[in-house]
Amino acid sequence: MTTVTSLEAARELLSEFPVVDGHNDLPWALRSQVRYDLDARDIAADQSAHLHTDIPRLRAGGVGAQYWSVYVRTDSPDPVAATLEQIDCVRQLLARHPGDLHPALTAADMEAARGEGRIASLMGAEGGHSIANSLGTLRGLYGLGVRYMTLTHNDNVDWADSATDEPKAGGLTAFGREVVREMNRLGMLVDLSHVAATTMRDALDASSAPVIFSHSSARAVCDHPRNVPDDVLERLPANGGVAMVTFVPKFVLQAAVDWTAAADENMRAHGFHPLDTTAEAMKVHRAFEERRPRPLATVATVADHLDHMREAAGIDHVGIGGDYDGTAFTPEGLADVSGYPNLLAELLDRGWSKADLAKLTWKNAVRVLDAAQDVARGLQATRPPSNATIESLDAPAG
Amino acid sequence: MADLQDDLRPTAAADFDEPAALFPDEGIVTAEFYEPVSDPDGAPMTRARAILAAHPVADGYNGLPWALKRLPWYDLEEGESTVDTDVPRLRSGHVGALFWSLRLPEGLDGDRAVGATLEQLDLAKTVVRSCEEGLRPACTAGQVADARNRGRVAVLLGPAGAPALGDSLGILRQLHLLGLRVLTLTGVSWAGDAGLTRFGEEVVREMNRLGVIADLSGASAPTVRRVLSLSRAPVLFSRSAARTLRPHPANLPDDLLAELGAAKGLCLVPLTAEQTGPTVRDVADHLDHIRAVAGAHCVGLSGTYDSGAAHPQELGDTSCYPRLIAELLRRGWDEADVALLTWNNVQRVLRGADFTARAAQQRREASTATISELDT
Repeated sequence: MTTVTSLEAARELLSEFPVVDGHNDLPWALRSQVRYDLDARDIAADQSAHLHTDIPRLRAGGVGAQYWSVYVRTDSPDPVAATLEQIDCVRQLLARHPGDLHPALTAADMEAARGEGRIASLMGAEGGHSIANSLGTLRGLYGLGVRYMTLTHNDNVDWADSATDEPKAGGLTAFGREVVREMNRLGMLVDLSHVAATTMRDALDASSAPVIFSHSSARAVCDHPRNVPDDVLERLPANGGVAMVTFVPKFVLQAAVDWTAAADENMRAHGFHPLDTTAEAMKVHRAFEERRPRPLATVATVADHLDHMREAAGIDHVGIGGDYDGTAFTPEGLADVSGYPNLLAELLDRGWSKADLAKLTWKNAVRVLDAAQDVARGLQATRPPSNATIESLDAPAG
Repeated sequence: MADLQDDLRPTAAADFDEPAALFPDEGIVTAEFYEPVSDPDGAPMTRARAILAAHPVADGYNGLPWALKRLPWYDLEEGESTVDTDVPRLRSGHVGALFWSLRLPEGLDGDRAVGATLEQLDLAKTVVRSCEEGLRPACTAGQVADARNRGRVAVLLGPAGAPALGDSLGILRQLHLLGLRVLTLTGVSWAGDAGLTRFGEEVVREMNRLGVIADLSGASAPTVRRVLSLSRAPVLFSRSAARTLRPHPANLPDDLLAELGAAKGLCLVPLTAEQTGPTVRDVADHLDHIRAVAGAHCVGLSGTYDSGAAHPQELGDTSCYPRLIAELLRRGWDEADVALLTWNNVQRVLRGADFTARAAQQRREASTATISELDT
């Protein structure tokens, strides 16, 4: 249990070095719950009945920068169009809340937001399906402000294997490596959450810029494919990247991994996609939960991951990516975006120094974006936009 | 066009550095205020060049990026003989601004149309960047004037076909942020033979709010009439000549030309044999007719180069505009009307769109309407 004093100390730390959170699915929640009717979910007011996220709770949680995910489903019939609508949603949020949300495209913008006490708002695309195998479309997303792309979501794309699909490419294809190179040239961070370990290793080989894991924890602590294996964490110091710990119980707690496998099976049996969070789907979920109590992850569970990630990757290569509004369940003490101080208090009690925590919450994530954009400036001076196509690079042999 | 990214910042979006643009009709220069730049007794070709030097051509339709796609390598500044458009010929033709059409391969719709449009916007920007000495990206009337002051040809993006929107106003807003300035209202369920649906009307209102100009070439007469009455900003026809002179589905009958004139829209006449006829004189006949029916403030030029169309004799590439202007001078066009035709009318429409957008953004937020909610 954390003490009152450590919680106070955590809050004080956050007032100086707030949290950069790597992944929040508020746009998807707004799309799926109210089709972007932002009056129906006014995030300036308390939305705890519907969402993990609103501005008062972001403030209470000490969040100073947020990568808003512009995720769309991999089975979407129109992934590019839907991604543009998700980007539009973030822009509408920015237009509505200029006093709280600060548009950010660079590390300097993030620092400016911190100086003004506003929440730097960045965008990340979650899954290579959002670019429909097109580098021109990738550049379009960058032009619209997207600053990271997760190479896959839960399903493989034609050029990269996902952690949660059958291996096909064995990592990245030649076009997949070209996507990484083009992201490097643009200054878009390569996000390796969700991808297969083979893809992580290939991307680290191909990338000339630091990478991120926008929301992934440690596989050595909880053996789930969504987490990062130690050999990959150990490569982060040389790469300069950051692994941002996620809180999702079904990835961080073994008992929750097992429970989720059974719950997903139950959802499918009732004709729902396991990730469906509509009211009807959640009713089915709750009924299952009454029959079989859900194992609870806690702040300590997440801290265990951070202790290990720090051990394996180093204090300069850890961060936070809660995945709020992208997960049905959250750990005790980290129920919503107001919970980050509890995690910091726990880490203080475990002996993390204030300097360590400033790196975890703010400095590492800001550094990695700055470094990636620095690399991009160099690359833009030496090579033009890539014209490569998946047909030209990944043509089937023979 | 990297500066487009600054649009994400609210501080950069509010743009009051062009107070002159606050009045949409300010671009209309009437004959009595026009100061001649050529010797009225000079030879027509000499006069044409002198007038064009002061009032270059704003060319409403050009397909260069797409045409360059098939070339392994190109140098627009040096000259590129396999296409109709390059910097030396733009300069000798006195072209000051180009609209680059974003061509979608036939039959694309849904997500593939949206993705292909992103690719076209990207391709266009890549071509502009490859030619920084000659070309300069522009979105507003002020940026067009700025490009001209720097001795560059301003490049505006559009028209794109309406399928590019994927039936979504959110996508329209993102395409606008990426630089799209003109949208052709054809090929979609919401702007068909019966005119605009409710969603179609909402698209036009949102285009007004953003400053995306409606292109009505090829649109049905009911769509044309509805947009003319609904749009708060001037509209244009990117490629339409006079149907009285040449029956082509995209050419305009006199009644629509008159209505366009009343609405102060702009009919950009394509230099294509198919729509205007095979000679310079044929093109001039269309310009004469449209000027007579719609008015001198409502006629302009679309070279339609590098779009696959066959051009009239002596108008084979972007260097040929002086020949056309000389023909108009021979027919007694005064300088003021030539200046409207080549430059001022397009600038007026751009300014009108900028003004309408600024005013609308003060009044209302982005529309969240969807096609499923309005058109079922």
